[in-house]
Amino acid sequence: MLVLSYLLVTGITTGALYALVALGIVVVYKATEVVNLAHGELFMMGGFLAYTLHVMVKLPYVPSVLLAVAGSFAIGILTDRVAFRPLMKEGLVSVLLATIGISFILKGVARVLWGGKGDYLAFPPLVSPEPMRIGNVMIMSQQLVVLLAALAVMLVFAAFFKTTRAGKFMQATASNPKAAALVGIHVSRVYMYTFGVGAAVAGASAVLMAPLTLLYPDIGFPLFIKGFAAAVLGGLTSVPGAIIGGLLVGILEQLAAGFIGTAIQDVSAFIVIMFALIFLPTGILGMRGTRKI
Amino acid sequence: MLDVQHLEVWYGPTEVLRDVSFTVPANAIIALLGGNGSGKTTVLNAVSGLVAPRAGTVRVAGEDATGAAPHSMVMRGVVQIPQGREVFADMTVQDNLEVGAAVQQNKRAIRQDIAEIYELFPALRARRSARAGVLSGGEQTQLAMARALMARPRLLLMDEPSVGLAPLVVETIIQTVRDLRARGLTILLVEQNVGVAAAVADHAHVLRDGVIAYSGPACDLIDNRDVLASYLGR
Ligand SMILES: Nc1ncnc2c1ncn2[C@@H]1O[C@H](COP(=O)(O)OP(=O)(O)OP(=O)(O)O)[C@@H](O)[C@H]1O
Ligand SMILES: [Mg+2]
Repeated sequence: MLVLSYLLVTGITTGALYALVALGIVVVYKATEVVNLAHGELFMMGGFLAYTLHVMVKLPYVPSVLLAVAGSFAIGILTDRVAFRPLMKEGLVSVLLATIGISFILKGVARVLWGGKGDYLAFPPLVSPEPMRIGNVMIMSQQLVVLLAALAVMLVFAAFFKTTRAGKFMQATASNPKAAALVGIHVSRVYMYTFGVGAAVAGASAVLMAPLTLLYPDIGFPLFIKGFAAAVLGGLTSVPGAIIGGLLVGILEQLAAGFIGTAIQDVSAFIVIMFALIFLPTGILGMRGTRKI
Repeated sequence: MLDVQHLEVWYGPTEVLRDVSFTVPANAIIALLGGNGSGKTTVLNAVSGLVAPRAGTVRVAGEDATGAAPHSMVMRGVVQIPQGREVFADMTVQDNLEVGAAVQQNKRAIRQDIAEIYELFPALRARRSARAGVLSGGEQTQLAMARALMARPRLLLMDEPSVGLAPLVVETIIQTVRDLRARGLTILLVEQNVGVAAAVADHAHVLRDGVIAYSGPACDLIDNRDVLASYLGR
């Protein structure tokens, strides 16, 4: 019982972070119909930016986080400028290939800048590593902080789309780009900000996850796969779907590791993707209307 | 208000508009007619900046606007209500209207405009929190018009607003078009329904084979069976 509750708590915490990674993938896909294959590397860059600011430059945690998120936003915008905007006319395949190219470049940059100092960098813990007791469940205070922060990011994200003008322009552009252009929305600029927002969410999830795990230049790909599994599970265009998908992937992964073996932990996301594509091609929440391909 | 000269548009290897010239005087209602696939929507899209003309000029209020981007045409006061309405189906009626004011900056003015729009279209007020996708065809047409008005247009480009609507609803749309003109707007109305065009427009142009094949007072259209037969193919 104790093992199960421990696994669930860990699963929910990492799941919330996968949900954030998935959110970034979904936002960009919804607007542009592109799966940004550099999304994992945007996550990685966010983590290293925070590491540099917090550990190397010794800025306090909160400003480091904010700056890292802003930096991720800027790299996201760069992705749009380099991969999406110039290649959109050439077709989806060119854009996808370009995002792969960006992922390699970012990985290379990270290896040069951060990879040399021992492959794995540890981010200092945010709060005392003492475990806490809530009812019968032991929980690391660190996990609790991360979980709450992840929920806060989701709320901010939802509020942004529901209430701000920029958020509504993004929704409108995702829903019908031609009509968006006809009401006077600067559609290519919205795409640019969408890539930025997607990357900012990736950066936010990275700085939250960093204290729980280790940072290394290749962390992007496994994280991308988990976030992508969560996004596919949620239907690839649904924000609530991505969140539920993220939690499911996180929990499944922990249960698989705890009851079957740790070897399965890292492949569980692939298994989820496979089953989701076979049995739930429209995601757990189903799809409203039709999807343009 | 709008002056289109020698417009030529190609889609890849196919020429759709060969040499289209016409003008829309300020505060007029001008109809643009033509059979299926004759290029009516293409004319509007070339004016709106959605497709780039290969040749020709588009002038708005005397200024050259050829090849301007869609958002810049909206800023010049030229707003299109697209064929098939194209409302933002996943968003609420209210959000559709707010997004319609994309080129407006003043929040207070936007709120006032929305209030005024609800006066003009009471049916929309009743459904302000509904998703646009669940509205009836007539309501969606109203929403598409209302959304366009949120941009405070000087020239409205309407693409077949009457399609698929019951005769009574078409009547209300005709009335709305007249009201808009009375408020000072200029309207270029694309139609396949000659009755609608004859009822509201001052003047009509008929598009065929990539050129304006016939121009004349709109009221002559109904009587002129030869024009209808030869140019519209019915
Ligand atoms: N994006 C496009 N690419 C290629 N061909 C197109 C495109 N859009 C329209 N066409 C073709 O150009 C021609 C004119 O199309 P357009 O939509 O302007 O006609 P229309 O008069 O508006 O027709 P309808 O009455 O059916 O709305 C048609 O033959 C159409 O098939
Ligand atoms: Mg048309």
